[in-house]
Amino acid sequence: MSVQTLLGPQSPTPNLKQAMDSMELSGPVVCITAGWRDSEGEIDDLIAEAGQPVEDLMIYHRAQDVFASEPDFAALQRERQDKLLELQQLYRIRLNPTLLAARKLLRMDAQADLLRLEQRAAISQVRALDRHHVRRLASIHSDFDARRASMDIPAATAQREQVHETLENAGLVLIAGGHVAVLLNRIRLFRLGALLKRKPVIAWSAGAMVLCDRIVLFHDDAPQGKRDAEVLDAGLGIVQNLIPLPHARSRLDWSSRTRMALFSRRFAPAICATLDNGSTLQVQNSRIIAASASSVITRTGRKKGLKA
Amino acid sequence: MNELIAALFAEAVPDGARINAFIRDNDFPLVEPGHVTFVYHGQASEVILRRWISGMSTAQPLQRLEGTDLWALRMELPENSRFEYKFEVVIGDTRQLVLDELNGVLAHDPFGANSVCQGHGYERPVWTLPDEEARGGELASLNVASKVFAMQREVHIYMPARFRRNRTYPLLIVHDGLDYLRYADLKTVLDNLIHRQEIPAMIVALTQSPDRLVEYTGDPRQASFLAEELLPLLNEKFPLLNDRNARGLAGASLGGVSALHTASCYPELFGQLLLQSGSFAFSDLGHHKKGPVFDPVVRFVNEYRSNPFPLADRIYMSCGIYESLIYENRSLLPLLQAQGMQVQFEEARDAHNWENWRDRLRQGLTWLFPGPLWMVYE
Repeated sequence: MSVQTLLGPQSPTPNLKQAMDSMELSGPVVCITAGWRDSEGEIDDLIAEAGQPVEDLMIYHRAQDVFASEPDFAALQRERQDKLLELQQLYRIRLNPTLLAARKLLRMDAQADLLRLEQRAAISQVRALDRHHVRRLASIHSDFDARRASMDIPAATAQREQVHETLENAGLVLIAGGHVAVLLNRIRLFRLGALLKRKPVIAWSAGAMVLCDRIVLFHDDAPQGKRDAEVLDAGLGIVQNLIPLPHARSRLDWSSRTRMALFSRRFAPAICATLDNGSTLQVQNSRIIAASASSVITRTGRKKGLKA
Repeated sequence: MNELIAALFAEAVPDGARINAFIRDNDFPLVEPGHVTFVYHGQASEVILRRWISGMSTAQPLQRLEGTDLWALRMELPENSRFEYKFEVVIGDTRQLVLDELNGVLAHDPFGANSVCQGHGYERPVWTLPDEEARGGELASLNVASKVFAMQREVHIYMPARFRRNRTYPLLIVHDGLDYLRYADLKTVLDNLIHRQEIPAMIVALTQSPDRLVEYTGDPRQASFLAEELLPLLNEKFPLLNDRNARGLAGASLGGVSALHTASCYPELFGQLLLQSGSFAFSDLGHHKKGPVFDPVVRFVNEYRSNPFPLADRIYMSCGIYESLIYENRSLLPLLQAQGMQVQFEEARDAHNWENWRDRLRQGLTWLFPGPLWMVYE
């Protein structure tokens, strides 16, 4: 069974090399830097850190080339992206008041036996809404896949085959962070999920997020104020029941116990695990087999060191 | 009386050595929650605090502390406040405006420097300071052969780090752009906010007028210069997004007037406005009393108040509560909102100065040009 190594941000002090040194490589190293969008492929620093040759699969730019040569496919992709964007906005309209009610109940002081059930019910509503959202997203993706299957798109097929061949021969895959929606989109577009599942992978930040079964966006210190954490989409599902939280130190408001407790209870039984600079989680068959410099959010909203 | 000064005088009138130690061991002005105490040390017949605060007495005398050459003034100051000041020192027949020598915090503007009083709770935002992790953008110069002004105009262009010709960028045109660079650290702010993904990588055109008291007062030549001369040239030279919502105008004081006026002349071109302490003078009855420079401003604002219309999609307005323009800005807010535009208005415990405008840039720019931060986990 392959091991997935999840790291925090690689700046200011990278720990990629350390993670690589703990693995036995059975083939060349490839990387996915699609989350960097236009900067995809600028991997000099990455190669220097890895200390060996690394080939970038270049799936962001390959997709751009495909869209340029297959206008119908590009239109289908655009249509899907528009739908995803709009659905996310509709989800937010229901999510915000539902979370507000749950937070209010968690902060309230009332008869314990009455309050406890109302709190549970409120959190259940949030969880139900998240599940509903993922189902709605899945139906958009299914529709896209069905329509794509009936299209004659030779450029897309050729590019995908090239990427698959390179990936098949790889001994290790590195997935860098960046724009998580773009990264997920490109990995899906090239249907890399099943292949990645069989490979040893080191992924950091957004890369770690897409490997998991749910991608949760969060930022409690955004410039226009706190935002409610929201489910972006299902991830690749290679790692189950784990919500990675990159940049948790700066993006989460640990001073608000209610907020953090709700975060934890909302996504339970998944473990909400911090991934800051220096963090490492090693996962095999969705079980954490090693952990370093990572914490979980407890049910009561506290931070607790994560142990394998 | 401030506790530290009270302690200094508790036992006896302090001698020179104790006064020197007091000055050496403390930061000035003396700041405490809700109050600030100014201290001047030196021979004088009178010392006056001159503040650039509107709506409050701009001159307040310091009191000589008995038996010493120390002068002090304690005044109320709400949390997070910040204002600029000088001391007016009178010696015999001579009056001189001087910086507070005991306070090393200075703010600069085109007229020189002022001492800065940072009230309790105020901290300079970290995103205004250079961040060694943030890659710096570059500044280039562009000459515009202006027909409306019948002269060459030099415009400076900020290009973000990792600028690429094959990408397209939002555009912000800034009035008094070089002053924003010099006194409001605009380049550092842009570098940092782009690095943090709080705003997208963008092109910023920094314009500077040789005669802003005329050109920034609602002068149709300025609007024409920006919209019909500068913008087409920028479109030719730089890969800009062809979208009104990806185009903005910014300005402070009279620069804010010009930004609003230009948007009103070309509402189809600019979707985003950043207006800081805009000098939006108007008159309800009779003639205004702000002087002839403001005649065209009042004409423009009165006309817009009579016939308002949506001139942008989003507007960020800020104003200090220690400046008289807070009245004009508060008056304009409901009018703009009533036109269906999204307006964010921020009041600051600050006055009419560049550091006030600097400290509001993050709120304004991230409101008008939100970056991908929410989706980016590097």
